[in-house]
Amino acid sequence: MPSFALNINGRPVDIEAEAQMPLLWVLRDLLALTGTKFSCGAGLCGACTVLIDGMSIRSCITPVSSVTGKAIVTIEGLSPDGSHPLQKAWQEEHVTQCGYCQPGQIMNAVALLKKNPKPTDADIDAAMADVLCRCGTYQRIRKAIHRVAQEA
Amino acid sequence: MSNNTINRRDFLKVVASTCGGLVLAVYLDACTAQTETSPIITSAAAPSTSTLTPEPSSHVDWKPGIYIKVDHQGLLTVTAFRSEMGQGIRTALAMLVAEELDIDWANVRIEQAPADSTYGDQQTGGSVSVSLYYTGLRRAGAVARQMLIAAAARQWNIAAEKCTTAAGFVIHPDGQEKLAYGDLVDAAAKIDRPNDVKLKETDQFRILGTGIGLWDAPQIVSGKAVYGLDVRLPGMLFAALARCPVFGGEYTSYDDAEAKAIPGVKQVVVLDRTLERSIAVVAENSWAAIRGRDALKVTWDEGSNKTLDSQEMMKIATGRLKKSNESTVLGAIYEMPYEAHATMEPMNCTAYVHDGVCEIWAPTQNPQEVQRSVAGSCRISPGKVTVHVPLMGGGFGRRLQTDYAQEAALVSKAVNAPVQVIWTREDDLQHDFYQPLLVQYACGPLDKPGIPVVSSAGGMGIPTGAWRSVENFPAAYANECYLDELACALKRDPLDLRLEIYSSKYIQGVVKLAAEKAGWGTALPVGQGRGLAYHATFGVTHVCDVAEVEVDAAGNVRVKRIVCAVDCGKVVNLDTVRAQMEGGIAFALTATLKAEATVKNGRIQQSNFYDYSLLRMDEMPVVEVYIVDSDREPSGIGEMGVPPVAPAVANAIFAATGKRVRHIPIRPADLKA
Repeated sequence: MPSFALNINGRPVDIEAEAQMPLLWVLRDLLALTGTKFSCGAGLCGACTVLIDGMSIRSCITPVSSVTGKAIVTIEGLSPDGSHPLQKAWQEEHVTQCGYCQPGQIMNAVALLKKNPKPTDADIDAAMADVLCRCGTYQRIRKAIHRVAQEA
Repeated sequence: MSNNTINRRDFLKVVASTCGGLVLAVYLDACTAQTETSPIITSAAAPSTSTLTPEPSSHVDWKPGIYIKVDHQGLLTVTAFRSEMGQGIRTALAMLVAEELDIDWANVRIEQAPADSTYGDQQTGGSVSVSLYYTGLRRAGAVARQMLIAAAARQWNIAAEKCTTAAGFVIHPDGQEKLAYGDLVDAAAKIDRPNDVKLKETDQFRILGTGIGLWDAPQIVSGKAVYGLDVRLPGMLFAALARCPVFGGEYTSYDDAEAKAIPGVKQVVVLDRTLERSIAVVAENSWAAIRGRDALKVTWDEGSNKTLDSQEMMKIATGRLKKSNESTVLGAIYEMPYEAHATMEPMNCTAYVHDGVCEIWAPTQNPQEVQRSVAGSCRISPGKVTVHVPLMGGGFGRRLQTDYAQEAALVSKAVNAPVQVIWTREDDLQHDFYQPLLVQYACGPLDKPGIPVVSSAGGMGIPTGAWRSVENFPAAYANECYLDELACALKRDPLDLRLEIYSSKYIQGVVKLAAEKAGWGTALPVGQGRGLAYHATFGVTHVCDVAEVEVDAAGNVRVKRIVCAVDCGKVVNLDTVRAQMEGGIAFALTATLKAEATVKNGRIQQSNFYDYSLLRMDEMPVVEVYIVDSDREPSGIGEMGVPPVAPAVANAIFAATGKRVRHIPIRPADLKA
């Protein structure tokens, strides 16, 4: 089985996996990094969002072979203690209900704010519309993103 | 395998799940596919630690009842015995105890109970957990507080009645001296339980009625919260199942050669005793299991349901309804399709059957039914089944069923290893227990306007089950669309007509509040309209919505704003009430405008979010929630936001366009100019 040198949350990790194995399952099943969630398996919902070199990608459709040598950041790597401004804003705005989609929402928002530190409502909608939340926490997500943008 | 220089033991951490059982988690600096320890499968008695709060130094905690524990640091641990799926029940139950115990919220911890009849029926459905335990849990807190006071009074050698409490301390009558709860627990353990305690008056509340973020939120936003799919056990395997695409069918033969050739696939197991005869592919990881399952070549006997068609069902059901031809009667037919639950976390369950026992981690709304059904499937007694309940990535009624738990137990038993059964999104949407397809005929006399008489007919052959708000969803839809049609026929204002028909002060309270806040009667631009609907879900919680919509020439509906007024009795967590109304509205908008599960050739046609499309952020209206300051006992909120939405939107669309659409989902084609 081929071996891949990955960089996950700032640490080098060697992994043996099939080249086509989606990064999602490498994280969840081989590394037990379960903060990145499975929901659709087809890049349709965003629950599995992680950062690759600062860009948000859907790890459920990203083969592990395509991310060697790149900086992979998962929800666990965002901060050691949940103190990233978005993680704090999510708590201050009481965003979470079931919470299952929220790691993906947060990772997607990190990428949004990196590109666009002062997004409008329309910017937020455009960037976040592909990350689904069945609990309907959308207006709180929007507020939490604005809060971080304003405090930055 | 690894070039990492850190000792593996440094990053192998055993952490507690929120479900009370130990779960082996390998943190982000882990670098290996394998865990090295021998199995440490736990029993229900395994200690549960929180990753947020340090363990107390002394090990003998005080347990003044089944729900609570106070340790020597003064930390309160509340045992949550109902299941958390985002409705905030763990937080609410703990708030009830903390209020009466007089303890700071920062010093509250929550442990999840396993299935255990000591806690009564643990089924989490019907939005009743708070209303059932509003007094009992407060009493549990008040009893503990009384015993702590008695212990302090004994130490001070004064009368207990003179002492007060605040924020985890018993306060001496001199107002200066105080004793921390943590220092009193040994003495309190020797105090007789009081038979009668006085509960706080509402105006003494410091926690209840405030808005508190969910206790689990810090874990959730850091990716550490443990949902069913996140359970990790040493040596565990993963399984995906091939189920007959037609409900009630079963396999006749299968060829697993290609499945077994997929790297990581270990075994193919036939399950004969689940609801449908199905075939499990067991593998080292989820991906291999799913690929293996997809590679199975199965011949199905599709059985007697293979010609089922939901369009036909709708026609047949409509034909079965008796309609009135009288000109003095107003009647209308309203159609609703099957709806899937579509929880973001697909169905899954982790089980380990070994040595005549079953330990199971079931994201379930019904732990005791999991215990019973798994015992039946495994032919062991329920007492041999330990059910841990992790967090759920949504429930909405789907997780009242136990099919996925039985599967996990049977696969584990067959392969003699811990197994996580994972459902793909396709499995989840196509093997649900759906909200029933329903056709309703609502009618009533025009000269005596009132709530209509409603008769209904449904589909057949498709598994159905509880779906957030259950029968209230169609009931509100028929009643409240009908009242709008009635108002139109009588040339009456829909609000005025409702205030005439609905005389109860509670109903009038929410209807007037929503109408006032929404600016009912004020002008809107052309192409926009307002619609109103009221419903009391399960007859107990009153909700009125006013929806504001805009419809363009292509028939696209944009719901711009929904004003929601709710009377749910006394409020426990203000923020959760708002969140559940917002969430119920989003959930219902998906059914109103976007998603339906249709049946053709006996199978569900939709398979993933591209054709079972959920409401997205750019479609979310501004939602304003107004909560009536109510003196009634708490009456539930988890499902109550859902029912008024579809009729409020349909009525608003009529106001905007003059078009009456009598089915959901309402599509652009229904409204195109």
